[in-house]
Amino acid sequence: MQLQYKSQAVAKPYFIAAIALFVGQILFGLIIGLQYVIGDFLFPAIPFNIARMVHTNLLIVWLLFGFMGAAYYLVPEESETELHSPLLAHLLFWVFLVAGALTIVGYLAVPYASLADMTGNNILATMGREFLEQPLLTKLGIVVVALAFLYNIGMTILKGRKTALSIILLAGLVGLAVLFLFAFYNPSNLVKDKYFWWWVVHLWVEGVWELIMAAILGFVLLKITGVDREVIEKWLYVIITMALVTGIIGTGHHYYWIGAPGYWQWWGSIFSAMEPLPFFAMTVFCFNMVNRRRREHPNKAATLWALGTGVMAFLGAGVWGFLHTLAPVNYYTHGTQITAAHGHLAFFGAYVMVVLTIISYAMPMLRGREVNPERSQVLEMWSFWLMTVSMVFITLFLTAAGILQIWLQRIIPSPQSFMAVQDQLHIFYWLRWLAGVVFFIGLVVYLYSFFAKDKPQTVEAGAVQPAAT
Amino acid sequence: MPVSPETLDEASSPGQGLAIAAESLYLINLLVLPGPGFLALLWLFFRQRRDAPPLARAHLRQTVSASLWAGGLLILANLLIVALGGYDSGWTWVVVILYFTTAHTTLVVLGILGLARALAGQSYRYPLVGNLLP
Repeated sequence: MQLQYKSQAVAKPYFIAAIALFVGQILFGLIIGLQYVIGDFLFPAIPFNIARMVHTNLLIVWLLFGFMGAAYYLVPEESETELHSPLLAHLLFWVFLVAGALTIVGYLAVPYASLADMTGNNILATMGREFLEQPLLTKLGIVVVALAFLYNIGMTILKGRKTALSIILLAGLVGLAVLFLFAFYNPSNLVKDKYFWWWVVHLWVEGVWELIMAAILGFVLLKITGVDREVIEKWLYVIITMALVTGIIGTGHHYYWIGAPGYWQWWGSIFSAMEPLPFFAMTVFCFNMVNRRRREHPNKAATLWALGTGVMAFLGAGVWGFLHTLAPVNYYTHGTQITAAHGHLAFFGAYVMVVLTIISYAMPMLRGREVNPERSQVLEMWSFWLMTVSMVFITLFLTAAGILQIWLQRIIPSPQSFMAVQDQLHIFYWLRWLAGVVFFIGLVVYLYSFFAKDKPQTVEAGAVQPAAT
Repeated sequence: MPVSPETLDEASSPGQGLAIAAESLYLINLLVLPGPGFLALLWLFFRQRRDAPPLARAHLRQTVSASLWAGGLLILANLLIVALGGYDSGWTWVVVILYFTTAHTTLVVLGILGLARALAGQSYRYPLVGNLLP
């Protein structure tokens, strides 16, 4: 089977790199999970703060690879034209991969302070902040890659058909690039620093990334269900409107206790309480489209990932976000394991799963077939359930740890110290680690599914053979 | 799941609006207005249960049954946990909050599936907490 547009093939290395980095992210997750209960595990070779930084940075980088791969696959088909420059896309792939790999090697091989000195942090200090730990050179590289990527995608859309899907995707990608610029603003005033830091972190994951997610999900559902484009577009308009209306002012739920004006407690509480709405609509949208499908698409695994994305995004981002978003609740829960529980399920449900959805849909075609063999799909669906269920358990164990942490540290008449409380949470951390191991097994099954072939049909002795014609 | 002729039918089925209203009220009761949402659902159920088209009747019966179960699972079970575990224990709150969150979320997700089916003009049976379909 041939691709509709040859240039869509550039998506393939992006997806492969995304999956490889995903494996790295989970391995480092297992390391830090173990360090929670065996404090000196792998110390001093890989200290906890470095391993955590690698875990979160790899997540961001592989999701960006996934988004770019998705855009390179989706845009030519939506625009009904070849990609503006496949060569540029290939070049950017290698630039981004090498820059990302060097950054991770730098984290692991050089003390962080030395890395800062070596990479020009004294010229423009941008390092040392959670999720934005990348050296200045890497950050500049990200900007260059993002600009060239947007140029390539933008020119393709400009010369071809303009659809709501591709415009929503482009809007999300432009927002992603523009908001990253706040990573370069690092005022010495800690309140201002935190205030604008959220413009990158929050407005990415609870703002523009939701547009990217909606566009990818809409594209896959359009292809696998055959539902009219107009129906899907109407749903998308509602979803992205709700995402932006609630998400932008919802940034206020990060401003409660950082020194920002008190009115943010009202704005943050009210608007972020509505943030589950777009995820709620997304779940209804996914199931409604599959219920109204006009054809039975043979790629059952992709359908499962798409439906799973809706549900898990609603649970992780919607429900677990709402759980601690109201100011009076957040007064107690702020910075506890409740946040970690929410972060894990929200990232997995919304963004990991949507990238795996587009990979599941596109990768067979990028490998020259409409869908994967039956056995491969069965394995992929097994990996779906293993990863999803184990992530739910990771979330539940972290939530339980968080509740007990709040009780012991912030509620009882004689509150205990942070470390004294941590000692009492070990049982939950062990259970979380075991769930993480199951997640990793699911990931291994997922990797194996790419290489699985259907077993050849065996014919029983004595069975009647059809006559040759 | 095979594609049924019903799936292929784009026109809205008889009673679809009522089915959507029933599923919406079930979700409103769980998410926005606990109590008034249920009363509105009951009012709709008693008003329409005899004359409504089969699709609407099925959704009304399912949502009323699931709402009654939800009341028991969310209110009575939690009161029982607090009564048995004691108000003043961290472990009680671990169990209460985890139980409430998972039970409530499960019921909401079932409602979302029901709403999606109603929007597509199809019937839906709530697993465990719904009535048997004829």
